[in-house]
Amino acid sequence: MKKIITILLSLFIVITIFAANRKQEILQQAVEKYENQHFKEALQLFQKLENENIVNSKLYFNIGNTHYRLGNLGNAILYYKKALKVKPNFQEAQENLKFALSQTTDKQVLESENFLSALWENILSRISLNLLAILSILFFACIIFLINLMIIRFRKREKTLPTFFTLVLILLLLLSLFLSFVKWKRYISKNEAVLLADSAIGYSGPNKEFTRVFTIHEGMIFKIEQQEEGWSLIRLANGMGGWIKNDTFKKILLAK
Amino acid sequence: MINQNQESIGRKMKRVILLFLISLTCYSLFSLEVTSYVNKNKIGLQDILKFTIEITGENANDVNKPNLPNLEDFTNLGSSSSTSSSYSIINGKMQSSFTQKYTYNLRPQKAGNITLPSISFNFKGKQYSTNPIKITVVEGSTEPAPPFSSSNNEYSSDKLEDNLFIQAKVNKKTVYVSEPVILTYKIYTRYNIENMSYAEEPTFNYFWKEDIFNATSSNFSTTTLNGVRYNEMLLREIALFPSKTGQMKIEPLAMDIDIYISGQSFFDFGRTKRYRIASKPIVLEVKPLPENSKPHNFTGAVGTFNIKSSISKNEIQTGNSLTYTLEISGEGNLRQFKAPQLPKVKNLRYLDPEITTDINDDQISGKKILKYLIIGQEKGDFTVPSLEFSYFDVEKKKYQILTTAPYNIKVTQGSKTSPIGTSFAQTNVQMEGRDIAFIKDNFELTSYQPIYHKFLYWFFWILLLLTIPIAKLYAKENYQLQSNQYYQRQKRANKILKKYLKEAREHAREENSEFYYSAHVGLSNYLVDKLKIPRGSSTDYILKKMEKKIPNKIVKQTEEFFEQCNKARFMPGGFSPTNIRNDLDKLKNILAEISKKMR
Repeated sequence: MKKIITILLSLFIVITIFAANRKQEILQQAVEKYENQHFKEALQLFQKLENENIVNSKLYFNIGNTHYRLGNLGNAILYYKKALKVKPNFQEAQENLKFALSQTTDKQVLESENFLSALWENILSRISLNLLAILSILFFACIIFLINLMIIRFRKREKTLPTFFTLVLILLLLLSLFLSFVKWKRYISKNEAVLLADSAIGYSGPNKEFTRVFTIHEGMIFKIEQQEEGWSLIRLANGMGGWIKNDTFKKILLAK
Repeated sequence: MINQNQESIGRKMKRVILLFLISLTCYSLFSLEVTSYVNKNKIGLQDILKFTIEITGENANDVNKPNLPNLEDFTNLGSSSSTSSSYSIINGKMQSSFTQKYTYNLRPQKAGNITLPSISFNFKGKQYSTNPIKITVVEGSTEPAPPFSSSNNEYSSDKLEDNLFIQAKVNKKTVYVSEPVILTYKIYTRYNIENMSYAEEPTFNYFWKEDIFNATSSNFSTTTLNGVRYNEMLLREIALFPSKTGQMKIEPLAMDIDIYISGQSFFDFGRTKRYRIASKPIVLEVKPLPENSKPHNFTGAVGTFNIKSSISKNEIQTGNSLTYTLEISGEGNLRQFKAPQLPKVKNLRYLDPEITTDINDDQISGKKILKYLIIGQEKGDFTVPSLEFSYFDVEKKKYQILTTAPYNIKVTQGSKTSPIGTSFAQTNVQMEGRDIAFIKDNFELTSYQPIYHKFLYWFFWILLLLTIPIAKLYAKENYQLQSNQYYQRQKRANKILKKYLKEAREHAREENSEFYYSAHVGLSNYLVDKLKIPRGSSTDYILKKMEKKIPNKIVKQTEEFFEQCNKARFMPGGFSPTNIRNDLDKLKNILAEISKKMR
């Protein structure tokens, strides 16, 4: 019995290592294809990796670049957004996204004009979710340590200082958790999308019979508010809303 | 009767006189006489008209100064007033009369027939007005020229403009754009000038102006002009660089001159009189530079120039610099043209030239020195190419191109951290094109998952949380240890027992009699702590206490064991090594029983 388990376990480890190596090899091939300007083959290889459910900012970044080289501006923007969703402070992805957005037909408001909200976005993009998670647990550990210290050395009457520190740490923990929550909400949000079709017409209802409200072009980023059979109500950055067809855009989702 | 008549006549007379007096005073109180006159009916543009309003009457000094209406054809230079009074006795009655004179100095603005309008004013409800006066204004002056000072009176013309004038002169009437023109203003006079001041100064629009000379004090010298001797003085000298083509007018310069006129007799001390004179306007013809033959590197230099070039070193190290000097000397608009460009050479870097312009006092000649700093960026042999300087030669009326000689320089490898190399050669990186950043290669294909989504992370939280009850238990234990001496001893009992038991076991193995000592002390100490009785209690006391808590059977066994120990320790021949193992088993048995019962 023990032997069988050992064999199975080692087999599993070998398979995983082998699989990892295989993925690494595919990546290497894809990068080579890209370097030799065979962008179509590179894209196929990169997408093979993506289909393995690998959520990796650099992989998304590379796919974005490949799409850009192939002239698929919408897809490029979609993948840069994905890369930034995984790693908001990924500078090259930020720059490439900015560059790609500067080439879309529609002008897109990138930065918030309001100073406070710009600052808020800046802070949010600088701290990663994982860093917040680590900070949270560190604060929590410190709080627990201080509480334990106070419990054990209960006889000492000077409790004010540790109490003060505990309160400060609790505030920090709450802040960190709050930021984490905001970021996590964004991370799991599934309502942002990028237009992939050359253009799409926004109607005032989920049907072509309704009034035309606007026309948007490839690479437009917007939010989805409501989905019906074949149609989605979207909201543009400038506040305009309208119904467009579902097959014209793709949501910014991380795993399939 | 007669008396009565005389009386009545006298009374009547009194009445008449009274009435007369009253009427007289009434008349003189309210009547004013107003007249107006000018000093001359025919005046010149350079003269000043004196316009006087005379008001006579007993209350004339109460009259406010009449306001002149806005005169279009005259400039009011100011007014003066004078008062005179006269007293006269008519028919034995004293009469007083005041005369108020207001004199206005008016300068005519244009020639022709001009009417001074009627001036009216109100005094005590009565309207007074003067008669309008007709005046003829002619060019020049109608006043006789002042007599000459004694030293200069050999010339007979008595016209003012022949004896006092400003001459404006340019050295050329036709020039090219940017070609300098020298404009001079001189004053010529045959009078004694007391004082002079600029009245109107010309503005030089569309000219770049450089002052060469500006008189600050009067400095006359004698000269002869057209056979006439004058006192001459240079007022101004200006270099003008026209910036616009076409007929350019230079406006006149006007001055106010005070001339001293000497007295004609012994009692006449003489006086000064002010005249305004102006130079004649000049029209310059400014021609554009020919466009068709303009060299491509023309930077706007106009004049006649020469160039000279030199370099400071023939050999430099990379990162170091040499100075290439270009000297442009000559006459022309040295200040205005731009520096010529050195042709670019790969791996030689030029800094913008340092330019010093050295202009002579005549404002048109001088030299311009351009110092180009050349930095060697790579080692090798290079040629600083010849530099072309093109200008428009105003004398030959065509463009000229001057070239300097090329220089061969050698650049050797210098130290990479040369201070000049870093401070002088630094420039901002220029953006040459924009593209997306390159893809990432060779990275671990790890799949991202937020730590928050991992079970282990939250497991750690729970672990941390669990330390609180543990700490609480520990604290409670500690509290009991510290606050309850018996609890402490009870806790300690096991430790002590263990220590002695270990000793006893070792002794047992060695079959040593020390076993009984260890066993005895260890067991009794253990029991003392367990039973919470004072240390050093006698064996009897211990056993008595034991009876209350532990079944008799075990107490008996304990008693027996103690006796055994005493026997072995103190009785001669009581110790037999063979019994030790047996006794150790007994001890173990007792301890097991006691610890079972006394929890």
